[in-house]
Amino acid sequence: MTPELTVLALAGLLQVLQYVLMSVPANMELGVGKTASPRDRERLGGAIEDLLSPKTARLLRALNNHFEGLILFTLAVVVVTLSDQSTPFTATCAWAYLAARVAYVPAYYFGLSPWRSVIWFVGFGATIAMLISALI
Amino acid sequence: MLTSELSILLIYGLVTAITLGLKTTGMMASIDMGYLLSSRDETRTLQGMLGRLDRALNNSVVALALITPPILIIALRDQSSAQSLLAAQVFLAARIVYLPAYVLGIIGVRTLVWTGGFLATLVLYFLAL
Repeated sequence: MTPELTVLALAGLLQVLQYVLMSVPANMELGVGKTASPRDRERLGGAIEDLLSPKTARLLRALNNHFEGLILFTLAVVVVTLSDQSTPFTATCAWAYLAARVAYVPAYYFGLSPWRSVIWFVGFGATIAMLISALI
Repeated sequence: MLTSELSILLIYGLVTAITLGLKTTGMMASIDMGYLLSSRDETRTLQGMLGRLDRALNNSVVALALITPPILIIALRDQSSAQSLLAAQVFLAARIVYLPAYVLGIIGVRTLVWTGGFLATLVLYFLAL
């Protein structure tokens, strides 16, 4: 297993962890009656994100943001691995991606500005670097 | 460069990353940096062309999530064929046309190329199976 594949599995687990981190407080705040309902806006009185406390809403946005990042990162890992282009550079990029995505969650939760944006950019840049290194 | 499904996937990934970069640049040009760097607790809706770019990006990410599995399967099982290559090329072309069609609001073309990309994805699933 290449280091990139290991990181991909860990990034998937991070996403699972982010799910738990968000859904536990969300269920406590809204109650299972609301979260288990079909979540129709007219019944809930708005979009579900607007009903959450600010910090839980941050965890939800961090989760949704990681979906976007993870889909692009998956593609980069698949291409690098299947075309046998794994190098120490792409492995470093993969670990940098994971470190950034881990740090992103508390940075968002605690509202660390501008660090959340800086950290996001590190993860995005690492993904792009992997894509470009597979291209050339 | 466009001669394998994997390299087409790679190029589509870069196109999506560039779209994301364009959206971020657009947000920096039209929204104050204080809000962008904050934890964005109040929702702000992106307006006009930037809103279109945002919706086009979300749609591109969904398409990316859907196209990755069949391309991965075809590559791992060495099932590449002229048909699968053509389907991947059609997908890439359709998804590239989709972006300006959405941002410029070209009604009809956007829906047409979206359908083309979606059908190409379905073809790849059938070929992978």
